[in-house]
Amino acid sequence: MDQIISINNLHYSYVSGKASIEALKGIYLTVRKGEIFGFLGPNGAGKTTTIKLILGILTPKKGEVKVFGGDPHKSQTRLSIGYMPETADYYKYLTPVELLRMYGAIFGIEKSLLTKRIDELIRLVDLEKAAGRAMGTFSKGMMQKVSFAQALINDPDLLILDEPTGGLDPVARKNMREVINVQREREKTVFFSSHELSEVELVSDRVGILNKGELVISGPVEDLLKGKEEKQTLEKYFLQIIGE
Amino acid sequence: MRTIWAIAKVSINELIRKKDFYVLFIFMLVMLGFLSIQNFFDIEGITRYVRDFGYTLVMLFSFIIAVTFSAKQIPEEIERKTIYPLLAKPVSRFNLVAGKFLGGIIVSTASFLLYYGLFAAFYLSGGESISVVLLIQGFIFGILFLCMVCALAVFFSNFLTVSANVSISIILYFVMISFSDQFRQAILYSEKPLSVSLGFIYYILPHLDFYDLRIRLAHSWDPLAIWVIAAVVTYTVCYCLFLLYISGKMFQRKQL
Repeated sequence: MDQIISINNLHYSYVSGKASIEALKGIYLTVRKGEIFGFLGPNGAGKTTTIKLILGILTPKKGEVKVFGGDPHKSQTRLSIGYMPETADYYKYLTPVELLRMYGAIFGIEKSLLTKRIDELIRLVDLEKAAGRAMGTFSKGMMQKVSFAQALINDPDLLILDEPTGGLDPVARKNMREVINVQREREKTVFFSSHELSEVELVSDRVGILNKGELVISGPVEDLLKGKEEKQTLEKYFLQIIGE
Repeated sequence: MRTIWAIAKVSINELIRKKDFYVLFIFMLVMLGFLSIQNFFDIEGITRYVRDFGYTLVMLFSFIIAVTFSAKQIPEEIERKTIYPLLAKPVSRFNLVAGKFLGGIIVSTASFLLYYGLFAAFYLSGGESISVVLLIQGFIFGILFLCMVCALAVFFSNFLTVSANVSISIILYFVMISFSDQFRQAILYSEKPLSVSLGFIYYILPHLDFYDLRIRLAHSWDPLAIWVIAAVVTYTVCYCLFLLYISGKMFQRKQL
């Protein structure tokens, strides 16, 4: 299976008050195995909506989304997906270890393996000191770390990250970049949306730019910047593309 | 089942770490202690009143725990946005509804077990002859009642806010417990088509009054016949499954 995500003519609209808002206007997108795909776009472009459609949380009005060649609405299709949402205020009565244990149990991970995996993840996101503390006392950055750890609990083949670096300190960002690079080495696929264009430029193999519900352009970062003026950065290119 | 259980366990942790349960437990202890002092005076008839009141407290406190826990489970997942990482995992929306329902039942049953245990100890310490079978029946009916309350609260949480859900559930509880007999009388003595309409409403309403063994326990009547218990169990299972099915369908259509 070379195509991990395949999106064809995807449309999505929702009702806000009396108006129907077209969030996605027929996008086509393919993400291949082992690829790190950066999904860019200004606020309200439809990035999170696209991610929710990829995860089967929303149902397309028209068009089709396939993940690992299957329908993401089916629970089985989501067995090898890890997802980190933009924000989530995890259960304040649970500790990070209990949260990871609960998510691990959903995936049916064997107990001793799960304990080992949780230890690794807690170390990876640098939360050893807070591992036994209820999450009600956590800062936004700590919550993001927990969120990142839970996305990796099942050692996913496809990791979907929605604005993962928001609220993280530089060290945590560097750690996250390293994890993404490790995923690449292990031929895992990463699909992530971000406003941090420098981060995207550093780790992505390919990027797609979404603006007002349309995929304006997609391709390898070097190809997009090729032939442009010297010192052209992804940020400058992005601003040109979205017309700012 | 593994998924449903994992989701339900979150509620158990919440019950253990929140103060609500302990506050109600201490309040229950104080009230039963106070009631047992009243009992020492041996005033004729007061034992029945005390038992009636004690049982009402047990049911009321368990009801409060069941409603407040079950009503907020799904809305809080949506509000805190934890619903997204949960639904991104191999969890169907039916699993989620069932998990929240099971969590509500476990939490309220655990509370009920403790409250009812206290009540039974207080009841048995009265020194009067008491049917243990009746006490067990009261326990079974209590759990069935909590299943019904949790299913209703989960169902209402699809379209009501948490406060509206709790309010409606409380109103429904008091109306069904207090006016069910009058409702039946009204159907019997009214003319058609009013009697038909009232009958329809009467039969679709959740009969929380079926589980009320207050008077039977207070007066130490004979235990219920097996067929009555079987009928109430069947009614509860069917009603809960129906509510959960509708809740699952509604939640499936919800755009998050």
